[in-house]
Amino acid sequence: MTAPVPSPMASASPNPAGVRITSLEERISGTGTGSSPLATQEYFVNMGPQHPSTHGVLRLVLRLDGETVREVVPVLGYIHRGIEKIGENGTYRQFVHLVDRMDYLSALANNWAVTMVIEKAANMETNERIQAIRTIVTELQRLHSHQLWWGVFGMDLGAFTPFFYGFRDHEILTDIFEKTIGARLTMNYIQPGGVMYDIHPDFVKDVKEFLAYFKPKLREYDALVTENVIIQQRLRGVGVLSAERAVAMGCTGPMLRASGVAHDLRKSEPYGLYGRVEFDVPVGTTGDCWDRYWVRMEEMRQSVRIVEQLIDNIPEGKHFLVKPAAKIKVPAGIHYSHLETARGILGVLLVSNGKDQPYRIHCRTPNFNNLWSITEMATGGRVADLVAILSSIDIVVPDIDR
Amino acid sequence: MQDSPPPGEDQAGEVGFAQALLAAAQAIEPATVLRDKSDRITLQVPAAAIAKICQWLRDDPALRFDLLYDHTAIDWPAENRFELVYLLAAVLDPQPRTRDLQVMVTTSVPRDNPVIDTVCGIWPIAEWQEREVYDMFGILYTNHPDLRRLFLEDDWEGFPLRKDYEDDFMLERPT
Amino acid sequence: MGMITDGLPGFLEPLPGGSAVLTKVDQLVNWSRSNSLWPLTFGTSCCAIEMMMASGAARHDISRFGAEVVRASPRQADLIIIAGTIVKRMAPRLRTLYEQMAEPRYVIATGSCTIAGGPFIYHSYTTIRGADEIIPVDVYVPGCPPRPEALFYGLLTLQKMIREGESLRHPGERRRPVLSALPEGMTIEDIQAEMRDLLVADANVKMSEELAEGAHWAQELKDF
Ligand code: SF4
Repeated sequence: MTAPVPSPMASASPNPAGVRITSLEERISGTGTGSSPLATQEYFVNMGPQHPSTHGVLRLVLRLDGETVREVVPVLGYIHRGIEKIGENGTYRQFVHLVDRMDYLSALANNWAVTMVIEKAANMETNERIQAIRTIVTELQRLHSHQLWWGVFGMDLGAFTPFFYGFRDHEILTDIFEKTIGARLTMNYIQPGGVMYDIHPDFVKDVKEFLAYFKPKLREYDALVTENVIIQQRLRGVGVLSAERAVAMGCTGPMLRASGVAHDLRKSEPYGLYGRVEFDVPVGTTGDCWDRYWVRMEEMRQSVRIVEQLIDNIPEGKHFLVKPAAKIKVPAGIHYSHLETARGILGVLLVSNGKDQPYRIHCRTPNFNNLWSITEMATGGRVADLVAILSSIDIVVPDIDR
Repeated sequence: MQDSPPPGEDQAGEVGFAQALLAAAQAIEPATVLRDKSDRITLQVPAAAIAKICQWLRDDPALRFDLLYDHTAIDWPAENRFELVYLLAAVLDPQPRTRDLQVMVTTSVPRDNPVIDTVCGIWPIAEWQEREVYDMFGILYTNHPDLRRLFLEDDWEGFPLRKDYEDDFMLERPT
Repeated sequence: MGMITDGLPGFLEPLPGGSAVLTKVDQLVNWSRSNSLWPLTFGTSCCAIEMMMASGAARHDISRFGAEVVRASPRQADLIIIAGTIVKRMAPRLRTLYEQMAEPRYVIATGSCTIAGGPFIYHSYTTIRGADEIIPVDVYVPGCPPRPEALFYGLLTLQKMIREGESLRHPGERRRPVLSALPEGMTIEDIQAEMRDLLVADANVKMSEELAEGAHWAQELKDF
């Protein structure tokens, strides 16, 4: 062990209490002999930031003993863009489009989370049509995101075919979004006061066609991957996270539900029109990779169910209730609201001082909190399992780093 | 229509719950008050009592706030303080509730001596959330197992989310 | 290869008619280089998803342009498609990756982030305002994120640049970067038409015209 290196920051900032600040170097320095009977040497290996199975630029520093993972030290910040600082210097409307770029696979849910906190705080009105459109597109995007996850999950496990199948259906849904919203990925559609554009005249027809097409495809997904013995053996019993640990580690969304906690904001604090539709919250039993896989597959079915119930009766009305150029002012105070994205709970904390810019805006992102559990799940497993675990968390790195 | 309508009869119930919670909190730390200008039940506690209050909120059988949703800070340079926000929820409850129970806890530390106890021992996820707050605001957490920067390099100077942060690199938006 | 091509100009140029031969060799080398680009998987954020859709997925297929051998190791790649924001912490790693790539190496910067910082240009303390502050860029593809078609157009632009711009006489000389924006009056349909023509005409798929007419894939290409 090297002696603690005094961080340069320690002198630059007042630290009268003498709180010790460590550094990455210090954290990962010092290798020793492992605890295995063979007394092999332990060593540190970098996985990332440029690594195909870290889905972007996540860096994991692994302490390995042969093939066994002894410790995982995630290193973040390779895509930290300072969204919160930019948000403080822009207007409320300008912040909405920034959150598209956080979790770009649930851009609509992100838009909605920000919109929700602003609307609630500024007491802005919406109507049934707006809520119906929001619920439908957000639910479709959950499907959209899970399709992509399914494809990439297969690829991470070494099966390339799911990637094509997942993307095939992903593209169809992308087209539907593009027709109404005009963007394929960074939508910026749900805005304080409504939605940017009214739905395309073909929207209802297209969605119905898609659902009719997609439902049998889910069977195909099952035949291809879910019932595959190799996949099952690679996932079952790997990366187990008990309910208590999942809660302690701050997991939400499919991660938490796979561990057996039926916590879903769509049920417990229904927003939009979720209070009016029937759907089940799939819950796992053991909290291993297999459960996380299964929960997401089941959620796709539930999303189809939700959209089917809503698509036929979108109420009439206006799609945007305020003037787009109107300044939004939020009464002073702390405001918080959250919703369920495809990956978990996205909360937005808004502190206002009564001006037309947020005083402070902070996003509680699902991926940031979900990822922490990898330090526990992967320890003691194999490197190959680590890839499966990482993929089963379904991370989007810019959502972690913001 | 509101996004999540406040449940009608709960309105009175929530006020009652807030008062009961406050009374219970005051039994532990007399200086506790309810923070105004907040859209949910918010306990404002002195910084020295944060660990005690959090421990109680998690362990009291009637409360059991087992999930730390969020922890962050707000910089108030005019009042020379950082406000720290903890957002808690109870999810592992055996009796299903109609509405999630959530509570916010805030506390303040002075800007020139931003030191506070860690809550890592109570909610492990706090380890990361506190590191983020250290990274962005420079709040020092005593007894934190691994306090270092999270997003920025170890040798970064300054704390970017402080209101007085300055940087040659940053560009102002031209008006 | 490198030894031969490096020595070739010095050997051929003094010979009578050598220049013409050299030009032909240039053409051959450039043609093969432009049609066998091996991209590195490098995606940092949102643009990477569109790149994935363009390069590997079901509808858009980058292999029709000879650039489908996506490698995870920079040692085996000669094209880096920078997809996504580059921040201060990532910048040195990007530089390292670029330096590890095989020569001659090409860079396509996709998305407004890699052109100028995109939506994060103001008030961000980490976002690098343009990938060209880190490594030299050959082709810029604007968009946030650019559609797969736009990326293809950028790739075609790069291929054109390679075919026209390089000579063994000046190895390693950099060409002027271009912005592969759609020129005035150009539409997606035009690009698609251009791509179709190119595919049909490309020597990669050269068969006799009648054979191509008869083959079912040729018809599909036409309909594309
Ligand atoms: S250009 Fe737009 S889509 Fe691309 S990385 Fe930047 S913000 Fe994301």
